[in-house]
Amino acid sequence: MAGSLFAVLIDLSGTVYDDDAPIGAAIEAVNRLRRNPRARIRFVTNTTKESISRLHARLVRIGFTIDRDEIFTSLTAAKRFVLQHQLRPMLLLEDVAAEDFEGINRTNPNAVVVGLAPSQLNAERMNEAFRLIQGGAQLVAVYKARYCKRPAGLALGPGPFIQALEYAADTKATVVGKPEKGFFLYALESLEAKISPERCVMIGDGARDDIQGAVDAGMIGILVKTGKYRPGDELTIEGGAFLCDDIAAAVELIERQLFL
Amino acid sequence: MNWLSKPVRGLLLDITGVLYNSGEGDGVAIASSIEAVKRLQASDLKIRFVSNESSNTRAKLAAKLGRLGFEIQEEQLFTPAPAAASYLRQHGLRPHLLVHPGVQDEFAEFDMTDPNCVVMGDAEREFTYQNLNTAFQLLIKLDRPQLITLGYGKYYMETDGLKLDVGAYAKALEYACDIQSLVIGKPNAEYFSAAVADMQLTIDETVMIGDDILSDIGGAQKAGLRGVQVRTGKWRPQWENHPIVTPDGIVDNLAEAVNLLLAQNAA
Repeated sequence: MAGSLFAVLIDLSGTVYDDDAPIGAAIEAVNRLRRNPRARIRFVTNTTKESISRLHARLVRIGFTIDRDEIFTSLTAAKRFVLQHQLRPMLLLEDVAAEDFEGINRTNPNAVVVGLAPSQLNAERMNEAFRLIQGGAQLVAVYKARYCKRPAGLALGPGPFIQALEYAADTKATVVGKPEKGFFLYALESLEAKISPERCVMIGDGARDDIQGAVDAGMIGILVKTGKYRPGDELTIEGGAFLCDDIAAAVELIERQLFL
Repeated sequence: MNWLSKPVRGLLLDITGVLYNSGEGDGVAIASSIEAVKRLQASDLKIRFVSNESSNTRAKLAAKLGRLGFEIQEEQLFTPAPAAASYLRQHGLRPHLLVHPGVQDEFAEFDMTDPNCVVMGDAEREFTYQNLNTAFQLLIKLDRPQLITLGYGKYYMETDGLKLDVGAYAKALEYACDIQSLVIGKPNAEYFSAAVADMQLTIDETVMIGDDILSDIGGAQKAGLRGVQVRTGKWRPQWENHPIVTPDGIVDNLAEAVNLLLAQNAA
């Protein structure tokens, strides 16, 4: 029966919820997928400041039926990468995100993992990180966003700090989060159900951040017109993707057409 | 040594690696350089000490070099901060500063209540997420975001290890805002020409002496000056045959250059 399984990767902010409320009939859309015995689900996000527990608590509070283990973040991807390559990382992460790395050996670091961490991205810690990288440590970027939206306005993302280290050390970071196609492949792998990319759908509101990387990885993309979507975004996706009004419509498309 | 084949009336001297080497406290003077500078001061030659130093005012830098034994007048120091101030003045710019507190005084003349550009130097401990974020938020709101940097080095060595320099953090804001910095300092050609103009000389009659073959010598040559490489400071033996830069002369140290020059001028 393994051949008939399919995977659905679902972006969170802007796709299933916005602020503190579900988008349209998102809760029922997710439940509908759950009732399908052939569907395997992962919720995917780039957030690094909140650990998975807190993110999960928020989603439950909003009304979603969702398991902690179903949330795959760029942090999860980073941890997977570190374990796979047996790295000993220096973490430039907020404590709350570093929690997710408990149990991993961090002595005598041979890697630097950089996320969005205002309390860590200062001269002292950056110099420490730089010295390690100059000495051969691998630079791993949880994701490379230039900036992010906060209630008070825009704020620097981790990208600029990673750029600084790349420039000074004359090296390139390995980016494990969205929109790298590796992120989507890791998310699919985490289902441990041997589902191939062609049988995997990615649903998200960001053409560049969510869909392009998934399509590059050989998956099916569904761009939804909620969250950060702007008319015309769908035309920018190389390889093409489906366009739906929202997640409820996307699930309808999956069940009625893509994997009936 | 073809750097002596044309008259020389002025010298641009790099500081670190030519006059002294950095280290504990003030660092350590390169012994023969003290006497060399003394001889230059007594001669007809005009001199400027050209540096990308952006953590100290010229006054403090002069005091430090004085403590090391050098006879130097503050007006002979040519550093990015005053050159940047001059640029701001010329273009009617009002800066938001992300600089070392030690260099803030160089910008005292400016009204900073409604900034329309960011000036960034080696802010050292002031390179915090908050300070960089504030600079970013200002730039991203401007119609014409301008980021002016004092120097553009990647990193430098201190006694307690390597430290990221202004260039690295400039790259951070460039990436965030999708802009290019305007760099004031070596190896920019304008910086060398401004130093020459400061002596009221011409490029033809001025020679740059430095230890960094790309930034000091290459930079000076691109500005049209003759560049003489010293075998002190950053010097590496493989630079006798550098793939990119051919200095107009290579000398053991500043003293040798000065001896050769003064002997020639006396002749």
